[in-house]
Amino acid sequence: MNSNIRIRFKILFYLLVMILIVLILRLYFMQVMSGELYAELASESITREKTISAPRGDIYDCNGKLLVKSIPVKAVAVQPNIVSGNEDVMRILSDCLGISYYKIKKKVEESNVSYMDKVIIKQDIDTASVIYIEENSDKLPGVEVVDVYLRQYKYGSLASHILGYIGEISEEKLKSEEYNYNYEGGDQIGLGGLEETYESVLRGKKGKVVYEVDPLERPVSIIQEKEPISGNDLYLTIDIDLQKVVEESLYQSILEVRQKKIKDTDEYYKVTGGAVVVLSPGDGQILAMASYPTYDPELFVGGISEDDWNNLNDPDNHYPFLNRAISSFPPGSVFKIVTAYGGLNEGVITEGSSFNCAGVWYGLGGNFPYSCWLKSGHGSLNIVGAIKNSCDIYFYQVGYGLLKKLNNTEELLQKYSRIFGFGSETGVDIPGEDIGLVPDKEWKEEYFKDQKENAVWFPGDTVNMSIGQGDLKVTPLQMALAYSVIANRGIKYRPYLIKEIRDDEDVLFTGGSAEEYQDLQLEKDFIEIIEKGLTQVAGPGGTAYSVFMDFPVDEIPVAAKTGTAEFYGKQDYAWFASYAPVGDPEYVIVGMLEQAGSGGSNVAPIAEKIYRYLFNID
Amino acid sequence: MIRRKNKNPFDLESYGGEKKTINYDFILFFMVLAISSFGVIVIYSATRGTLPGGVTDPQYYLKKQLIYLAAGIVLFVAFQFINYRKIERYWWLFFIAGIASLAAVLLFGYEVHGSRSWIDLEFTTIQPSEFSKIFMVICLAAVLSKWKREKEHRITFKKVIISLAVSLSFMMMVLLQPDYGTALIYFIVYICLLFISGANFLYIISIFGMTVGSIFFAFNAGYIKQYQLDRILVLLKPEAYPDEGAGYNLFQSKLAIGSGGLLGKGLFLGKQTNLSYVPEHHTDFIFSVIGEELGFLGAVIVIVVLGVIVWRCFYIASVSSDSFAMLLGAGVGFIILSQVIINIGMTIGIMPIVGIPLPFLSSGGSNLISMLLGIGLVENIYRWREVRKEHEIAYQQFK
Repeated sequence: MNSNIRIRFKILFYLLVMILIVLILRLYFMQVMSGELYAELASESITREKTISAPRGDIYDCNGKLLVKSIPVKAVAVQPNIVSGNEDVMRILSDCLGISYYKIKKKVEESNVSYMDKVIIKQDIDTASVIYIEENSDKLPGVEVVDVYLRQYKYGSLASHILGYIGEISEEKLKSEEYNYNYEGGDQIGLGGLEETYESVLRGKKGKVVYEVDPLERPVSIIQEKEPISGNDLYLTIDIDLQKVVEESLYQSILEVRQKKIKDTDEYYKVTGGAVVVLSPGDGQILAMASYPTYDPELFVGGISEDDWNNLNDPDNHYPFLNRAISSFPPGSVFKIVTAYGGLNEGVITEGSSFNCAGVWYGLGGNFPYSCWLKSGHGSLNIVGAIKNSCDIYFYQVGYGLLKKLNNTEELLQKYSRIFGFGSETGVDIPGEDIGLVPDKEWKEEYFKDQKENAVWFPGDTVNMSIGQGDLKVTPLQMALAYSVIANRGIKYRPYLIKEIRDDEDVLFTGGSAEEYQDLQLEKDFIEIIEKGLTQVAGPGGTAYSVFMDFPVDEIPVAAKTGTAEFYGKQDYAWFASYAPVGDPEYVIVGMLEQAGSGGSNVAPIAEKIYRYLFNID
Repeated sequence: MIRRKNKNPFDLESYGGEKKTINYDFILFFMVLAISSFGVIVIYSATRGTLPGGVTDPQYYLKKQLIYLAAGIVLFVAFQFINYRKIERYWWLFFIAGIASLAAVLLFGYEVHGSRSWIDLEFTTIQPSEFSKIFMVICLAAVLSKWKREKEHRITFKKVIISLAVSLSFMMMVLLQPDYGTALIYFIVYICLLFISGANFLYIISIFGMTVGSIFFAFNAGYIKQYQLDRILVLLKPEAYPDEGAGYNLFQSKLAIGSGGLLGKGLFLGKQTNLSYVPEHHTDFIFSVIGEELGFLGAVIVIVVLGVIVWRCFYIASVSSDSFAMLLGAGVGFIILSQVIINIGMTIGIMPIVGIPLPFLSSGGSNLISMLLGIGLVENIYRWREVRKEHEIAYQQFK
């Protein structure tokens, strides 16, 4: 071998060594110096996390009857940022799920501009669709089949205002502090009633799976798995059988009253809605609570359709979502118990004080006539008779007396209204409770601040308020609470709907604890005087006698008060408030019908029917 | 055979009184055996979990590779009985065989990843371009070595032209498939052989220049496809193409190797590779599996072993006693070295992604068997060198 070639071999050898060193240096840089970075990237690129939804807690009535159940179903969810703009995927989904392409597109694109990570396209899909989607997953990027739980309402629309409904979490909610944590796009949350109030109890805890996937996103191994914890169950104070009777009686009466014409006119009563509350005065349990018109929570299962939603929000349908039991209306004469107690307590009247009712009262001057509902007048009455006959003129004078007593410096009628719970929340555990309005000087000044001449509290305002008129507004539930205060001789309980919260084994919470009552320190003697009057309302000559004629009031004495409230621009609002049996009160029943005229003739029958059911009277 | 024939008149012990040595390079032999066996294990690791190509038996690739290894060793041993000088004499047979097999693949072969490189022989598939690497080296070594009528070994213009014709024939045949990676290897091996044969640098530079010129021409004329260009672009700017094609391959390969760290994730425990994130992880990207599972340490050991194999080839070539043997040994070394550099280089992002296997390690019979044949040739040179040398000494003493 010549020396030229020998040199070339030497060059070759050094070249070999150098190349190997370059390769090794490069590897050292990648593996030793940046190894951890690469390892992190690598594990990120192959691990996926998936939440497993937890079954929502069930809801039972006070007798353990199942009202609302969670059932597992399959749903199609998409990641809007991936699917948006991918026409093929949306077309396949449209064909497979039977939803119009434009609906899917709209939903996906609306969600894409927001920050939703996942939206549900359709819930409760059939097995064939599940198989189709899973088998064609390579053609459907960003689409997945997820497990969700649907609500099943065993009693249809019964108690729907109490139970509420669930729906997909909205973007605003998802962003809000309350929901930010633990929720993700596509989640179902309580949107009304108990479903909303007890969201945190019912929802349970989501599970989580961390798993590794292959390049086709097929799971290959599970790294970490956390089982979901199902939500806790609610046991209500509601008796679903009673609720049914209450709702049916309310509905029946509404239909009947709609057949009646306003006296001396050709106009039919509109009866745009109504509410009934059945309360247990001894502990504050709400046994039944009905509101009409109602809605079917089933409509929300699997996402409410646009038509249904618009229908529910159409003013012509009188706002079915509104729970009228906790919405406020002018109370009319059922409020007179407050005026009566105030008058007695402040010494404006005594049991024996009599006033003469001549049909009109000119106590505020000749230019201000105040009339009684009975134009002919009631003649001379004491407080018991005034309650029995619901004499307005008697109560005008009591109210006026209260006004004059401290020159209206203390607004005594307002004070007693508030003692009985008006103008504030009852604390019931469903959302949307209206506090109503106890009008006073301050309110009026604020309300009429642009009309200086009206921003004054007139004596006439107090006189009006003394018979439950004017700007006073109360909710049927507040009224039921006020009557339970009378029935209880001054003890006020917080009304509640949740009897117990349970998990699989234990009772976690019991509602209506002993601390939640309030002794209002009322004079028992005065309450007994009022009760005497209320008891006579259902008796001969009372304003509800015609309804309770056949009711065995001797065995089950009923304390009641009728009310007919004038509402500017509308037909009269009819009220009936009652409790029974007097002496050992078990039930308070308050009913209200919008634009239905007289409470005595139109609402009392509802209560009478319910009492018959409750006391097993045929 | 020849040895036995020589035994009587030219028996070493009877003439020189020197103790007979065993004329094998055991370092080379055991390194090759070790790296090939190691390859079988790594292939098993890469294929047992995710089975490419609709295979259901997790040991399918393991078994296949073991059979190839056994077949390769049998051929390797059988090769030792043929004196390489016979091969020199009949080099044109290898030329015909090589070109014919490459022609056959163009006619009867089937396509994988856009290249018609495979022939299905029912019981197995072969890739003639792999064997042709060895065949081409044999032909080039014969052409560039000292011709019989020459007094001394010189690289004449004639030899350069013939060698150019030979290597161009091989290159054109694989370019038609088209398999640019293998053609590149052929080209590198040819240039290196010219270099080591002692050819004038002028020849080397002009051939190199001509090639670059024709590639430039081919690109302008549209003969080079866009994806070929992309692979080069990806190398220059891989982060621009992380999701598709070569960019994806490279990204996943780098993730796999980088995440291996110093000691690796452990044999059979490489996630990126075992889950098929790295495409072709049992063939072209087998080094990603090694890097991920055995870490920097394992990768360095593999590189060093491959380096030692190449070094032994060069060493044997340099101590051989004739120019054909020298060129043959160096040629086999170039085949291995160029493939090692390009293959490992592409998995760590310093070389373009061209589909060429890693010698002794990538799954596939043609690669393993042709490499073992190549090493068989080198061992053959070593063995017959000694005999020839001693034979000559003995002969001269006899004279």
